[in-house]
Amino acid sequence: MLLEIENLTKVFRGGVRANDEIDLSIAAGEVFGLLGHNGAGKTTLVSQVVGLLRPTAGSIRIDGRDMVADPGRARRLCSFQAQSQVPIDGLTPRQAIELLGQLRGAPRSDVRRRRALLVDALELGEWLDVDAARLSGGVKRLVAFAMAAVAPGRLVMLDEPTNDVDPVRRRLLWQQVRSLADEGAAVLLVTHNVVEAERSVDRLAILDAGRVIAEGTPAELKAGLGAELRLELVIDPRSTELPVSPFGRSVVPVGNRLMVGVPTGAAGPAVAWAESLQRDGAVEEFTLGPATLEDVYVALVGGQEARSAEMEARLDASAA
Amino acid sequence: MQALRSYRLLVTWQALRKKSYLPLMMAVQTLFSLGIVLGYPLLFPTLDRTTIYLIATGAPAISMLSVGLVALPQTVGEAKVEGSLAYMRSLPVPRLAYLVADLTVWLAIVVPGVVLGVLVGAWRFGLDMQVSPLVIPAVLMVALTATCVGYALASTLPYMLTVIITQAIVVLVFMFSPLTFLPDKLPGWLETIHRLLPIQAMGEVTRGTLAPNVFPLPAGAFLTLAVWCVLGFAVTYAAMTRRA
Repeated sequence: MLLEIENLTKVFRGGVRANDEIDLSIAAGEVFGLLGHNGAGKTTLVSQVVGLLRPTAGSIRIDGRDMVADPGRARRLCSFQAQSQVPIDGLTPRQAIELLGQLRGAPRSDVRRRRALLVDALELGEWLDVDAARLSGGVKRLVAFAMAAVAPGRLVMLDEPTNDVDPVRRRLLWQQVRSLADEGAAVLLVTHNVVEAERSVDRLAILDAGRVIAEGTPAELKAGLGAELRLELVIDPRSTELPVSPFGRSVVPVGNRLMVGVPTGAAGPAVAWAESLQRDGAVEEFTLGPATLEDVYVALVGGQEARSAEMEARLDASAA
Repeated sequence: MQALRSYRLLVTWQALRKKSYLPLMMAVQTLFSLGIVLGYPLLFPTLDRTTIYLIATGAPAISMLSVGLVALPQTVGEAKVEGSLAYMRSLPVPRLAYLVADLTVWLAIVVPGVVLGVLVGAWRFGLDMQVSPLVIPAVLMVALTATCVGYALASTLPYMLTVIITQAIVVLVFMFSPLTFLPDKLPGWLETIHRLLPIQAMGEVTRGTLAPNVFPLPAGAFLTLAVWCVLGFAVTYAAMTRRA
């Protein structure tokens, strides 16, 4: 494994335990997703890897070398796209990308060739020589990604790389993330965009309150949920009771929707049940599809951001 | 070699970042120096010759302090808050190269205004300033000390506290520091404090090298500045390399 993190714990002054005994490992050529809510401890973890924060306990090794003892080496081995915007106002994307490549020690000709490739691949050409102060947030994020990818280290860490990026260029960006891994880098991808992560990562870990609560491939995590299908019910806001699932699987409220786990082979009964709920006016509409990583994520983390107190109360009332 | 290459690239980066407002800042610095040189005589029409010399040679020090202890800490504090300082710290370059590169760009902002202010002051009042060659190390030393101490403030204190302290420094430097007047005009307790702070030494080396025919150059002033300069740099470097 290229990156090995063992028992990593970070406690900030005041006692906030941002990372709690985290174990992770990432191989070269692998895209590893780190998922979690805001405040789950994702950025704290990458900040320790790149040497901006010192762990309270535990170890971080790249290629078997201790990075806690040698943060300078960690910065040389890691390319990092921070969550915050990069300080490039006043520079053009061309200047910013090439400067970063040269600062990473790559020869100027290689940097230019690779910059041209990334600018083409991310369709940034029209902004190549525009002052970054005049660029949108999404284009700046793409430039920041190109800065991290122009002369990539053995480990590339991307903290929310798709924030503010338009859907078309997001796809282009994910292709480039995959290319980085195909060329031999280990990629650590921090995101709370579960849907995109499902399509892009080889393995992932879900972080909640500083702890890893699940780890595996997307397929392994979905299998662990025990439901191969997912019935999404949009609850009528006027209904006072929530439907009780006859399938004995997970039922998770998200906003005004109810995610019901359905076993394979029960698609017919599930549709019939949903249609009856719709006829009774309890449900406005429904969708049946394969279970997604988002279902796993919401089931594990609890949908804390999306779950409304009202839905919780109604769910409790229905269960009682 | 790698450190030099990093330094060159980082100077380019920082200069490009500041290029849009660099000319404006230089112009403001110049006007600042001119404002002091030309404005004081309007407030006090009957100035004696020594006072005019004090104003003309004190203005550059005030100008350098306003950048180093006010503009710089506020800019660095903002960079800390928005996360861009952390980003720069994550780059694979020696932290020393980053710090020296940033200080270089700040010095480039300060020095032109200082030179122009002195020239205009000398011309306006017909001053006979027999400038010493020591003026070059003196100006560099004052500017470097001011920027190092300013950097240390911003690196170690929370942003809002930095802003408040820099506002207090403005009042201290303009009204109660022996830059455009001699220290014996101050109350005894403040005179004692100024013997420890670097501001008085800044005034002494500036006027002692710009007009050595009028003002003495106390040897201890350079030493005081050197101590503060090293202290500021050490605190800043420690803050830049510290992992919380």
